[in-house]
Amino acid sequence: MSAAWKNLLLRHETILGVLLVITLIVLAFQSDRFFTADNLLNQGRLMAEVGLVALAMTFVIVTGGIDLSVGSILGLVAILLGVFWQKLGLPLPLAMMLGIVVGGVAGLVNGLIITRFGVPPLIATLATLALYRGLAEGISQARSVRGYPDWFFMLGQGEFLGVPVQLWIFGLCAVIAAVILGLSTFGRATYAIGSNAVAARFSGLSVDRSLLLIYTASGLIAGLAAVIFVSRVSTTRSDMGTGLELDVITAVVLGGTSIFGGRGTIIGTLLGLGLMQALKNGLALAGVKGDGTIVVIGAVLIGTILISNIFRKDADG
Amino acid sequence: MTPLVELTGISKSFVGVKVLDHVDFDVRPGEVHALLGENGAGKSTLIKIIAGVHAADEGEIRIGGEAMKFANPGQAVKAGIAIVYQELLLFPELSVAENIFLNHAPRTGWGGLDWAEMRRKARALLDDLESHHLDVDTKVGSLSVANRQRIEIAKALSQNARVVIMDEPTASLAEGDVQQLMTIIRRLRERGVGIVYVSHKLPEIFALADRVTVLRDGHYVGTKDIKEVTERSLVAMMVGRSIDQLFPKEDAPIGKVLLELRGVSHGKQVRDVSLTLRAGEILGIAGLVGSGRTETALTIFGITPATAGTILIDGKPVQISSPQQARDLGIAYVPEDRGLQGLVRPQTIAENISLTVLKKLARGFIVDRGKEDSLARDFIKRLGIRARGPGQAARQLSGGNQQKVVLAKWLAAEPRILIMDEPTRGIDVGAKSEIHALMSKLAQNGLAILMISSELPEVLGMSDRVLVMNGGRIVAEIARKDATPETVGAAMTLVQEREAAA
Ligand SMILES: Nc1ncnc2c1ncn2[C@@H]1O[C@H](COP(=O)(O)OP(=O)(O)OP(=O)(O)O)[C@@H](O)[C@H]1O
Ligand SMILES: [Mg+2]
Repeated sequence: MSAAWKNLLLRHETILGVLLVITLIVLAFQSDRFFTADNLLNQGRLMAEVGLVALAMTFVIVTGGIDLSVGSILGLVAILLGVFWQKLGLPLPLAMMLGIVVGGVAGLVNGLIITRFGVPPLIATLATLALYRGLAEGISQARSVRGYPDWFFMLGQGEFLGVPVQLWIFGLCAVIAAVILGLSTFGRATYAIGSNAVAARFSGLSVDRSLLLIYTASGLIAGLAAVIFVSRVSTTRSDMGTGLELDVITAVVLGGTSIFGGRGTIIGTLLGLGLMQALKNGLALAGVKGDGTIVVIGAVLIGTILISNIFRKDADG
Repeated sequence: MTPLVELTGISKSFVGVKVLDHVDFDVRPGEVHALLGENGAGKSTLIKIIAGVHAADEGEIRIGGEAMKFANPGQAVKAGIAIVYQELLLFPELSVAENIFLNHAPRTGWGGLDWAEMRRKARALLDDLESHHLDVDTKVGSLSVANRQRIEIAKALSQNARVVIMDEPTASLAEGDVQQLMTIIRRLRERGVGIVYVSHKLPEIFALADRVTVLRDGHYVGTKDIKEVTERSLVAMMVGRSIDQLFPKEDAPIGKVLLELRGVSHGKQVRDVSLTLRAGEILGIAGLVGSGRTETALTIFGITPATAGTILIDGKPVQISSPQQARDLGIAYVPEDRGLQGLVRPQTIAENISLTVLKKLARGFIVDRGKEDSLARDFIKRLGIRARGPGQAARQLSGGNQQKVVLAKWLAAEPRILIMDEPTRGIDVGAKSEIHALMSKLAQNGLAILMISSELPEVLGMSDRVLVMNGGRIVAEIARKDATPETVGAAMTLVQEREAAA
C-alpha cells in the first residue's frame, strides 16, 4: 500500500467517519424511528447551535487556546435580544444585529485579555464565563421574554426546500470555515500559531491580531447561535446555553483537533458533531437515560483518541 | 578490550526510505569515537538506535559483549548509555537540579523527593564539570545554550553513564565554551567513559577523537584511527570528493548604505549601538555568547523594539516595532535557535518556507498550493536540502537540513537586508561552503548581509568588516585586511579585562 493511501486511511477523520457509519447502522437497527428523514433533519436542527459554535471553537483550539465562555455569551445575547426588542422597543431585526454584535464584543474582550495581558485562554475565558453569565442573570432578573412575532420563528423552526433553515445557515458557515481553515492564508497562520507561536511571530505573522480575530469570531458566532436558539424555543431565559461549551469542546476534540494546538480540521469537527448527536439521539430512542448517554459519549471520546494515537505512532515510525 | 557498545550490520528505514544500510560501529572504554558524515547521512539516527529511541530493522547491538534490544530509551539509560541531543531537551520551567534528576530523583525514607540531597548532588556534579557559577535553583529556561548543555552532561553523569553520546555539542557554543567542553570530555575519557562525538567541525575532531567513523548516505564508509587521516582525506570520505576552499568570499561591489543604526539601545543587552551596513557588504559581528549580538539583531528585527536611538533604512528613519514591519521593510532574520524560532516543526517543508511569503503566494486569500510546492522544490534544489519532497514534515529532517529550510524560508522573502545568526550552525562541510558561496552571490546581487557567528574562521573568512561586541556595546571595528584571529580575539579579551576591572 502506498504511503499516501496509508496516511489517508489512518487519518483521524477516516477512523471517525467509519465509526460514524457503524454507529448509524447500529442505531438504525436498534430503533426504526432513528433512520427516518424526519428524525435526521430534526436532529440537524438540534445540532445547529452547538455546531455553529464548534466551527469557531475549532479555530480557537487549533491555536492552542480554548474558549469556555461561549455558553455564557449565548445566554447573554439571548437575554439582550429580548431586552433590546421588548424593553428598548428596537425593531426586532436591529435587536438581532445588536445582539450578535454584543457577542462579538464579548469575544473581543476575551481576545484582548489573552493577547494584551498574556492571561492563559483557559483562565481568561473561565473568568468571562462567570462574568457574562452573571451579566445575563443580572439583566434578565429571572424574567423571560416571550411573544416574538411569527416571522422570527422562521429562523429556528422554519424550513427551506424541506431542510431546517438553521441547517442551511450552519452548512454555509461550515463551508466558509472549512475554506478559511483549510485553504486560506489565515488558516495557515492559525496552524502555525498553534504549533509554534514563537516561530510564527519570527516569520512576520501577526500572532496577536489573528488571535483577536479568532476569539471575536467565536463570540460573534455564539451570538448568532443565541438568536437561532431563541427562535427555536420561542422564549428567552438567562440560563440558556449553560454547559454548551462542554458539548462544543467534546465535538471538536472528538473530531481530532489537538487540545495542544496545531492540528485539527473542520471536516473532523463535523464528523465529531454528527457522531455525538447520533449517539445522543439513538441512545435516547433505544431507551438509555441521559446519564448513560454521557458515559457512552465519554467512552467514545477516549476510545477514538486512543485509536488514532496508536495509528499515528505507527505512521511516524 | 570488549567494546562498551558494539553495533553490527544496523539498517533502518523510515516509511520505506532506507536511512541506514548495514552500518557497523563500536565504542571502547576511555576513547572518543567521532561519527562523521554530511547532513542527513544518518548520524543522529544511528545514535538514536543506540539510545533506544528508534529500533533497528536489522542488525545487532551488544552492550558489554551481551546482545541487547532496547524497547525504549529508559532501558538504554539503565544499560549506562546517555545522550546529549542535538536539539536540547530540557524543561525550561524546571530548575537546574530538577532537570538533572528528572527521572531518578533521590527519595527520602517515606518516598517523598529529597530536595536537599538532590540539590547537594546536583551541586557536586556541576562542580565536577567546573561549572561552579551555575546555580542549581535557577530555571533552565533562563540559561545560555552552553550552560544548558552542561546540565545535560551532568544529567548523563548522574545516571552513571558508561557511554556518553554527544550529537553536535559545540554547534551552538562560543569558542571559550568549546574549550571548556573539550576539557570536560577529556576528563570523562580519563575515567574510562566511552564517548561518541558527532560534529561537523573538523578541527575539534582532530583535537579530541581517537577514532573516526564516516557515514555517507546511510552507508558505512569506514572507521579509521585519527592518526591515519588528514582533514582532506576525511572530507573526501564524507562527501566523496574534495573541497578546495572553505570560505569562498568573492568581491562584490559595495553600494550605498541600506541600514544604519544610531545609538540604538534596548535594556542592558543593547547599549548605544551604531553601525552602517551597505548593499553588497557582509558585515560580521564577533563576540562571546551573551555579548549582545543576537539581542542587537532582535532589536533591528522588531522582536525587542529599540527603546532609544534611530534605525534608518535607505537613509530614512523608520519605526520597527514588530517582525512584520521589519519584513515589510525588506529585513530578514535567520534566527539562532531553529527549533524554537525558526521552524514550525510539525508542518511540512513547503509550509515552512511559504510562511514568510503567504500573502505573495496567495490567489485572493487562498494559498496557491501549486506555487507553494514549486517554490519549495526550487529551494530544495538550490540549497541541496536532503528530503523526500516538499511535503515532508520539517521535524523529520536532519539538523543541518532543518537549518537550510530556515534559510530558504527567509530567502523566499527576497529581503534586501539579511541578518544571519549563526548561519551554518550544524551544517556539514560541503553544504557550508555552498552556503558561503550563496552568501557571496547574494552580496554580489546587492544584498546587505549582517552575519553573527561564533566561529572565528567564518567571521574572518566571510566578512568585509568585523564588528566586535561585548557587554551590549560595539567595542571594535576591524577592516577585512586587518582582521586576524589575533586582532579580533584580542579585541574580545581586552574588553573583558576592562569590564572585569571596572
Ligand atoms: N522520523 C523520521 N521520519 C522520516 N525520516 C526521518 C526521520 N528521522 C530522520 N529521517 C531521515 O533520515 C535521514 C538521516 O537523518 P539524521 O538525522 O540521522 O541525519 P544526520 O546525519 O544526523 O544529519 P545532520 O548532520 O544534519 O544532523 C534524513 O534524510 C532524515 O530526513
Ligand atoms: Mg543530526
